[in-house]
Amino acid sequence: MSIVIKDVNKRFGSFVALDRINLTVPDGGLLALLGPSGSGKTTLLRIIAGLEVADSGSIHHHDEDITGYSARERKVGFVFQHYALFRHMTIADNIGYGLRVRGVGKAERAERVNELLKLIRLDGLGTRFPSQLSGGQRQRVALARALAARPAVLLLDEPFGALDAKVRQELRQWLRKLHEEIQVTSVFVTHDQEEAFEVADHVVVMNHGKIEQVGSPAEVFEHPANAFVMDFLGNVNVFHGRLEQGKAVAPGVEFHYPEYQQTEARDAAIYVRPHELWIERKKNGVPSLAAKVLHVSPTGSRTKVELQAVDTNALITAELTSERYAELALKSGETVHVSARRVRVFEAAQQPEYSI
Amino acid sequence: MQAEIATSPVKPLPQPAPRAPAFRRANEDAPWVRYLLTGTALLVVGVLIVIPIANVFVEAFASGAGAYFRNLFTDPDTRHAILLTLTVVPIALVLNTIFGVTAAWAISRFQFPGRSVLTALIDLPFSVSPVVAGLMFVLIFGLQGYFGPFLRRDGYSVVPYLVSFVLALVFAVGYFLARPSDGRLRVGLWKRPGLVVPLGSLALFAVSFAVQKALGIWPENTSLKIIFATPGLVLATSFVTFPFVARELIPVMDAIGPDEELAAVSLGASGWQMFWHVTVPNVKWGLVYGVILCNARAMGEFGAVYVVSGHIAGQTDTMPLRIEKLFQEYNLPGSFAVASVLTLVAIGTLVIKSKLETLVAASGAHGQAENVTKGEPS
Repeated sequence: MSIVIKDVNKRFGSFVALDRINLTVPDGGLLALLGPSGSGKTTLLRIIAGLEVADSGSIHHHDEDITGYSARERKVGFVFQHYALFRHMTIADNIGYGLRVRGVGKAERAERVNELLKLIRLDGLGTRFPSQLSGGQRQRVALARALAARPAVLLLDEPFGALDAKVRQELRQWLRKLHEEIQVTSVFVTHDQEEAFEVADHVVVMNHGKIEQVGSPAEVFEHPANAFVMDFLGNVNVFHGRLEQGKAVAPGVEFHYPEYQQTEARDAAIYVRPHELWIERKKNGVPSLAAKVLHVSPTGSRTKVELQAVDTNALITAELTSERYAELALKSGETVHVSARRVRVFEAAQQPEYSI
Repeated sequence: MQAEIATSPVKPLPQPAPRAPAFRRANEDAPWVRYLLTGTALLVVGVLIVIPIANVFVEAFASGAGAYFRNLFTDPDTRHAILLTLTVVPIALVLNTIFGVTAAWAISRFQFPGRSVLTALIDLPFSVSPVVAGLMFVLIFGLQGYFGPFLRRDGYSVVPYLVSFVLALVFAVGYFLARPSDGRLRVGLWKRPGLVVPLGSLALFAVSFAVQKALGIWPENTSLKIIFATPGLVLATSFVTFPFVARELIPVMDAIGPDEELAAVSLGASGWQMFWHVTVPNVKWGLVYGVILCNARAMGEFGAVYVVSGHIAGQTDTMPLRIEKLFQEYNLPGSFAVASVLTLVAIGTLVIKSKLETLVAASGAHGQAENVTKGEPS
């Protein structure tokens, strides 16, 4: 196991940034710390890097306690959100800086810099200055700079946050491929669940300085541990109601919920993802909710339908495949029946504190 | 005013001009407005700035170039005043540069109690009248001041303490700077700063103190003059020019932010390497700019220096004081000759300052001034 974080706490004044964090980063893995802003993910990353000091707890790397080590001794590469390239140095000098301060000779340094320039596909641009590069190129330089001294761990703080959508998309795939090539243990921070799922092979969902769930992207998405994770990972419709006798009942609607068979009712929040809602013109025996179509937006393979419940006026978002949409030919203003193919229920105590 | 603009010949409005048009370009002003404003500005600059400055040189050279240089270099008091300024100003500059960098670093990089107080205090010398500043030092170090009687009786007795203290401080700072930043290279004494720094500093202090005492370097029972002597001039000049470097650096360092420095640290740079490789190159133009302004102000300082100097010709007269004295003695060519030197310094400062501004603008757009020529065409 590459990095082990044990009982790490960190406060800034009265604000609890990290609350007893325990985490293991597998060797050679690519792990994403995912959470809303203020969830402590960047603080955790900086503590791993040695740029921030934990109030208590310890960090281990290959069974070696590195808690008291300086950033230099930890052999980590850190990539900043806003690149933080040295503006007065050329690209080559930037990439070679980690080797320069470690006393690596000029010839060896130049060789390694060229190797990395090739890796980031910027060969020939070594004499340019950061200001002469585009955002995507700068972030690749920042990555090469972090990799130059062959770090044991690569840490990336919202590496694509400052880039526009298309470049971000390209860089994600490129980072994924690069990681497969060099296999360096990597941790990256993001608030974008799509990015975390696309790039990482492990996802750690954080909120309010605590880890909510750890798992592979599929695990976390399919089996959210609690309401927060469910809510944070993608769009979701929430119905506040109760559980009783195999049913989840919310005002105006009932869903099958065979997991709860007790007669005693219990308050609960019922979560349904938009793509797990099913729309019918007519009632077909399945518990369903009458709703008016407000707006239909066909975007590629999926069509987003915004609805309003007739009884409660609650807003509901559903997603249909384009085939189903073509079959139904929905129009704004008509009334349909909405049922759920799958619901997730979290008891009232676990209501999400985070809201979009 | 607004109604008048609205009915100006450029765009007459049909209605009785109830309000100015919603949108009007800046260059739509009537020609007479432009000429009037430009003319006024030029007139004011001409009368208040250009003519008096030109007059300084005219008066200085009134009796020829030979007389000018004679006035400057043959009068021993004038010569001494120039030398004294050239001694006091560099010392004040060095002190203020060290202080300015330290303060700017602390204010822009750390959060600490009293940070806002420090920020406000840095500006204090700007708002205090220089005469008051001078008076403060007289009240502290002067004969009637708090330390006056002591300094007069046996002033030099503090010098060995001061020297020993500076040595101990240099040792402590030097230890941390020279300490290998890589943990594996820290062997023996490098591993125990908590032990080495206090004990080492203390030992150095004691040894240095004992040596100074034993060798009798400093006179005993002798008055140490601060007021009416060079140390007072240095103190007063430093105080008055105190804010320049820090004031220039703080916004620059705030704008650049700590990210590049953190990046250097994460790449394995020691604090010293980070400072010289990253911080200094990033703020160098701001620093040079601050030092230049500080220099200009220090050379011309009159009020505070006037109070602490005692105005002793050939001993504590700096250039501005000498100008005033020559003027009072009706030696106008001599007075204007010295004044012309100060004016040249001022004009030189202005030229360097505007050159720097273009350099800074260029480096802001392209990372660094040189890269425009050095970098490949993109």
